[in-house]
Amino acid sequence: MFSKDAIKLYVLGLSLLGLTVFIFFRENTTDWRDYQAEFRDLVTEKFGPERAEQIPSGVQQIWVKDLDRVDRCVTCHQAVEWKGLETAPNPYRTHPKEILEKHPLTAYGCTSCHGGQGFSTTLPDAHGNVEHWEEPVLGQEVSEAYLIKNPKALMEMNCNACHRYDRETKGMDYINTAKNLVEQKDCRACHTINGRGGIIGPDLTFEGEKPTEQFDYGRLTGRHAVFAWQVAHFQNPKMVSPDSIMPNFGLSSQDAQALALLVMSWRKEPIPASYISGVQLRDVPTPEEVAREKEMLEGDGAFFVQNKCFVCHSVSSLGVNSAAKIGPDLSDAVVDVQNRFGRTLDDFLMDPTGTMSVVLATQIPLTTEQRQQAIALLKVAYQRKLEQQIKNASPSPTPAGK
Amino acid sequence: MATEEISETKTNSLLGTLREKFAFRAMWEKLTWTWKPETKREAGDAIVRNFILHWFPAKVSLESLSWGYSFWLGTISAVLFLILTITGGILMFLYVPSVERAYLSVKDLEFSTSYGWFLRGLHRISAHLMVAVVFLHMVRVFLTGAFKNGRKAVGQNRPLNWIIGVALLLITLLLSFTGYLLPWDQLAYWAITVGTNIASSAPVFGDPTRFILLGGTTIEQATLIRFYVLHCFLLPLATFGLVSYHMWRVRKDGGLACTEKRYEEAKKEEQPAIASKTYSLLGITGGSAVDVQNVMIDDEKDKVPSSPYLTVRLAVVTLATLLVSILLTLLVRAPLEEAANPAVTPNPAKAPWYFLWLQELVTITTFTVGGITINGALIGGIILPGVLVAAAVLWPYFDKSPVSSIGRWFPKERKWQNRIFLFIVAAILILTFIGTYMRGPFWEIYMPWQEWEQTPRKF
Repeated sequence: MFSKDAIKLYVLGLSLLGLTVFIFFRENTTDWRDYQAEFRDLVTEKFGPERAEQIPSGVQQIWVKDLDRVDRCVTCHQAVEWKGLETAPNPYRTHPKEILEKHPLTAYGCTSCHGGQGFSTTLPDAHGNVEHWEEPVLGQEVSEAYLIKNPKALMEMNCNACHRYDRETKGMDYINTAKNLVEQKDCRACHTINGRGGIIGPDLTFEGEKPTEQFDYGRLTGRHAVFAWQVAHFQNPKMVSPDSIMPNFGLSSQDAQALALLVMSWRKEPIPASYISGVQLRDVPTPEEVAREKEMLEGDGAFFVQNKCFVCHSVSSLGVNSAAKIGPDLSDAVVDVQNRFGRTLDDFLMDPTGTMSVVLATQIPLTTEQRQQAIALLKVAYQRKLEQQIKNASPSPTPAGK
Repeated sequence: MATEEISETKTNSLLGTLREKFAFRAMWEKLTWTWKPETKREAGDAIVRNFILHWFPAKVSLESLSWGYSFWLGTISAVLFLILTITGGILMFLYVPSVERAYLSVKDLEFSTSYGWFLRGLHRISAHLMVAVVFLHMVRVFLTGAFKNGRKAVGQNRPLNWIIGVALLLITLLLSFTGYLLPWDQLAYWAITVGTNIASSAPVFGDPTRFILLGGTTIEQATLIRFYVLHCFLLPLATFGLVSYHMWRVRKDGGLACTEKRYEEAKKEEQPAIASKTYSLLGITGGSAVDVQNVMIDDEKDKVPSSPYLTVRLAVVTLATLLVSILLTLLVRAPLEEAANPAVTPNPAKAPWYFLWLQELVTITTFTVGGITINGALIGGIILPGVLVAAAVLWPYFDKSPVSSIGRWFPKERKWQNRIFLFIVAAILILTFIGTYMRGPFWEIYMPWQEWEQTPRKF
């Protein structure tokens, strides 16, 4: 009864050992290791072994904290930022340079433009054409399924997540066409988009957010997909939704595809303001503020503005106004300096004491010419002040007889 | 030659000195004496003086060790629980119980953690296996009448142990249920929606129960964190406690029920304990063990030392369970659907498989007669299972079958009991099968070979 137990123990032990080895191999022979090895060979061939040694191995990732994304595409697509591999086969091809200059990898990652399942490290899952993942890589495979002429066009859907409020963006031909069509065909007559528009049709502001299950695919031939529905709907609304009163605009299939991409790009995902195109993260000066600044910079007291004297001193008779007024108004510096320091203005500015000596030594270094220019201007300022005083003091002419 | 001889002796004594100094042999013996006890005293000590093994008696009956009596289902479920505890403990370092991060942390487990896919898969498979094995264990105990007390029970209380077992079954189901939510994907979210909605249809206590379970009125962060705490701490703690109690009671009841027939042959009255033998069970309980009081039992004839017979079989069962779990992990991938989306209900939305029989019952008992709709959630979801659990708990006290039927498979005296029980089990299994393989979108019946409608995608 018990002698067989020992045999069972050995058999089970050996099987478990075998399984452990199997699991070890399953874990350590992953696709990405093969791709990295191939890449190393390619680089050795093209650039030499020293360059190949510098290639990092292991899972690589770009962590874009602001967008809460981790993109591990660079584990296999290691040549993304390399020079000289523009014609290599994928995944060893260099990424087009111009777009990367405006959209650096560290700030955008890969999937925010291309789609796909960024955190994945195995092949079909990474490209996202799998069950239970709705953001596939918008490239060759999907374009072929929908007969879209330009395989890069689908990506424009993701570009528009940030470029939504641009009227036109360079490099987004399909979306630009679609935005023009929205104006031309006056979609806003019936639909509200971004807060403006009519109420005859549904609000399309976040149409891209609508879940796949909420579309009626009953009258659609072919695959049940939102993109297919949108294209079909744009081309013939009543065929897809019999109760619709949306007219048939006679759109070409390319236009319909462009509009479908546009509409599906209208999503709610939280994007930091610094990423959104057209958003000015600065307060814009009012026209009065601009005029005032212009006056100060181009007026008679321009010298005092350009050399930052106005930070502490107003020179009111020349139209220079200081907000801080730390120092006295320099319009009467000619007499004021004499009163305060017992020296002439000329003498004082050439060799100041007190605060001015610190300021002119460290913060506002003025050459001798500049100081003389200042002295001359201050004398003009004093003259002007006296003239204004006289003007103000003289009584206005009274009418005769009173 | 003289020089050679001297060098030989020198080497010998050098090795010998080393051996003595480090006492290799003594150390080896100290480590391995339990596996190969040389005397009966050693065999007994190997068990009784060991922290983990002292759960078992120093000697066990041959029937208890048989494969075909108990199929070692209790042991298998304990081993599965151990696997779950270990894999679960490791997973706790990596999983994040927050609604923003839970799904992504599980994705990270699958893709970027070393052996993460394996840990998660093993944890999930062991969980499903444990629910199944615990259920089978209950079926085995019922069919062999092991919930009954023997002849004039001497401190026996097998009905109590049966109730502890039912409690353990319910805790196992709860453990599985709370763990089901943690990935926070569509499958998890909606399965828990179905389960808690059924619970809320209980009279009086239904809505407060749902409120306490969910930590609110919707399945949100509060739900996730309290399911996590229940799953990782409170329920395992309760399980450890009750399992210990469960096994302690087995020993207090005199061992597995298959040993009852030996006591049958003993005298009908209680025997006084032999003066020289005073065992108390670990000093915790008073009196002597059941088998001590039955002096007719011949230890020599009917029992074997636990070390090595029980311990080796335990090792075999442990390794076999591990092997089956690992094989299934490698063959069946743990599912992970889209991230949980309260706005989108999957069609169909199914409870976890061990509650599908309940969901089927709810469907069957929901119908409209005249203008009245019968509340299936109440009848099929609360009342019927409630009646079943109550029946299970109370049956040992209503059972009138004779003592001779204890510890045997399909005894004639319990024919009808067993048939009705098996009928109920079969019904549960059939309903589970229908719910798993034959219910499609809109809860329509689909034959297993019929295709469901295409699931719509974005592209």
